[in-house]
Amino acid sequence: MRLYSASSEETLRARKLLTDWADEGLLTKAQYQRLELETVSELRTTNIFLRLVLFLFTLISVGAAAALFFVGFLSRPSEQTIGVFFLIFAAVCYGAAEVAVSQARLYRHGIEEALAVCSVGFLCAGMQAALFSGSPYSPKPDGAQFLVPAAGAVFSLWIWRRFGLSYAFLAAMIFVLFLPGYWTLSHSAQHLIVALFYATGLIGVAAVRSRHRFDYLEDAYSLIEALLWLGIYLAINLQLSSLNLPAQWWGGTRATSDFARPFYWATWVLIWCLPPIVLARGVRQKDRFVIAVGAIVAIITLVSNKPYLGWQRHTWDPMLLGILLTGVAFFILRWLARGPGGIRHGFTAVRLSGKDKHWMNAGSAVFGLLSPQSITPGPQTSSPDVRFGGGASGGGGASSDF
Amino acid sequence: MPGPGHVVPGPENEDFMTILARLEQWKGQGTISPEQHAHLASLSRGEPFSLFLELNVLLYAGVLAFVAGLGWTVSTWSQQLGDVLVLTILSTVLAACFWYCFSRAPAWVPAETPAPSPIFDYVLYLGSFVWSLELAYLENRFHVLSGQLDLYLLATAGLFFFLAYRFDNRFVLSLALSTLAGWFGLTISHWPSHQDAAYRQYALLYCLLVGIAGTLLQRRGLKPHFFGTYLNIVANVLFWALLSGVFNRQGYGLWLLALLIACGASLAWGLARRQFAFVAYAAVYGYVGVSSMLLRGITDDTAVLGYFVVTGVAMLVVLVKIARRFGRPA
Repeated sequence: MRLYSASSEETLRARKLLTDWADEGLLTKAQYQRLELETVSELRTTNIFLRLVLFLFTLISVGAAAALFFVGFLSRPSEQTIGVFFLIFAAVCYGAAEVAVSQARLYRHGIEEALAVCSVGFLCAGMQAALFSGSPYSPKPDGAQFLVPAAGAVFSLWIWRRFGLSYAFLAAMIFVLFLPGYWTLSHSAQHLIVALFYATGLIGVAAVRSRHRFDYLEDAYSLIEALLWLGIYLAINLQLSSLNLPAQWWGGTRATSDFARPFYWATWVLIWCLPPIVLARGVRQKDRFVIAVGAIVAIITLVSNKPYLGWQRHTWDPMLLGILLTGVAFFILRWLARGPGGIRHGFTAVRLSGKDKHWMNAGSAVFGLLSPQSITPGPQTSSPDVRFGGGASGGGGASSDF
Repeated sequence: MPGPGHVVPGPENEDFMTILARLEQWKGQGTISPEQHAHLASLSRGEPFSLFLELNVLLYAGVLAFVAGLGWTVSTWSQQLGDVLVLTILSTVLAACFWYCFSRAPAWVPAETPAPSPIFDYVLYLGSFVWSLELAYLENRFHVLSGQLDLYLLATAGLFFFLAYRFDNRFVLSLALSTLAGWFGLTISHWPSHQDAAYRQYALLYCLLVGIAGTLLQRRGLKPHFFGTYLNIVANVLFWALLSGVFNRQGYGLWLLALLIACGASLAWGLARRQFAFVAYAAVYGYVGVSSMLLRGITDDTAVLGYFVVTGVAMLVVLVKIARRFGRPA
């Protein structure tokens, strides 16, 4: 089913690890050069920046070509005609993506990825226009329009399996979000259906990934599992899926009106139960992505607890959260550092990979620029006559005014 | 289930070998020593598993949340709390942060130096934010600088540069560069009739100043690893400034020429140094600038779409050639 052979992908992974180890000084230059020759793959890869630019220009070219076709060859076509041609474009794009991989051996090269993404987009647009022309895109029960997101989800899953693109799996998860709206009007049922879909996926992934411990698919399955855990959490946290989120959060009103009380409180219990479960699984599996999602959902639970209970928020809540986060990090750092060799239960706080340093350097430069703006709060309506805002020119919010 | 060190035949290829199997093979061949094998195999199995990145992200998020809450609380409740209490709290936090940093920092060296403790960088980051908060509070409550906020920004940028170089901290360096950019922006906003052209000139001046300073510091060996941060910021500000000139209705020719020169320089630098972010800048900014000029006044849909098809494919061909020749992952 997969376009790339297992040995090719494993060889690429080995090559990346070799580069990392050589950068860290764990291999001599002579060793690296010799081993590099043994890890030659026929797949054509590129670096992340060129990959992004190639993706962008492929999207531009394909989009413009499709639009040019309609402008140049069809005058005032019906929606069905447009839909049929969209479906043809979907097939062409998918075929081109397959050819780019099978003939040119492109691997995470941007071009084949953009073509695959375009094929999903054209498929959904084509189905909507060809099968449901005249009816607006409005989810309602009894409608057959669920076929559009269903096809999008299935085709995205196919792209994920065939090309190994993790974000195609994310796209499938997003398509699934639209499905329950066509089947039921009950918001509770909609949340449950989405959570059940994700849970089913999680069980399937958990069963499959155990066969890929320490091989090239380990990271991919790890990411997918993390996404599914996050999806389940977001589906059951009713405070995050409310449309009137900011007002509810600040005003302290609960989003109970749309949901039966038992369901509402059951989800409140679940949002407290899920983070420790996810964290425990991540730690047990030594799974970076699952640990990260566990930490994220734990923080979201802390942040969304007050809105859940209908309690008033306070301006010092972020301070308490900050103290908690730094406190936890500090405690773990100290605890790990006191272990023999800085290791406890197989965990260490020491940097072992050059990639971590690279991410830290890039992150510190980017977030150092962005954070002054992002943390500057807006004025609170109920506050006294003092005002705080702006900070638009950087300087750690220093240009803000009271 | 395949265990560590076993060769796992893949479904399509019997040559499939996990990294653990390869390490075993390389040890058998004598390419790596048994000690290296043991170490690399344990790393491949995630033994030990490093939480370095996760803990750093947690510390960073914690500092940001704390500062956001502090700023929010101070701004909302300053009248109830009173100036004395607010300033006492802010000064205490500030003093504690800077005392920690100055007392724990090793002697200064011009080369890259690791932080003396895992929390060191974040304490300094917190101190920098609290400094900004306290100064902004003082200025707005007591008008210490008589409304000369730009002077205060310049002084803050100077302090942040000093702290970044003294403690080798990229977070604070980025703060310094954004504060300096803020000073340029704020200075020009005092002008009676500020226009895009004036902003553009100041952006170019900012690029020139920061670019020259970054180059000189790198040449002199003063924290040369900061140079990448300087260069990326300068490149983006420069391209935005030049693009805004190209978007002008009149007199855009010179700006277009400058944009093309900048793109050429960025491309050459990116290829020579294998820093492909600069190749991406050249491609994207250059394409936007040239397209905006060529499509100016053209209203025919077919021509516009045809342009995007042809140029899009042309860009793909060029970029693929570049990728084939230079762009393998480092």
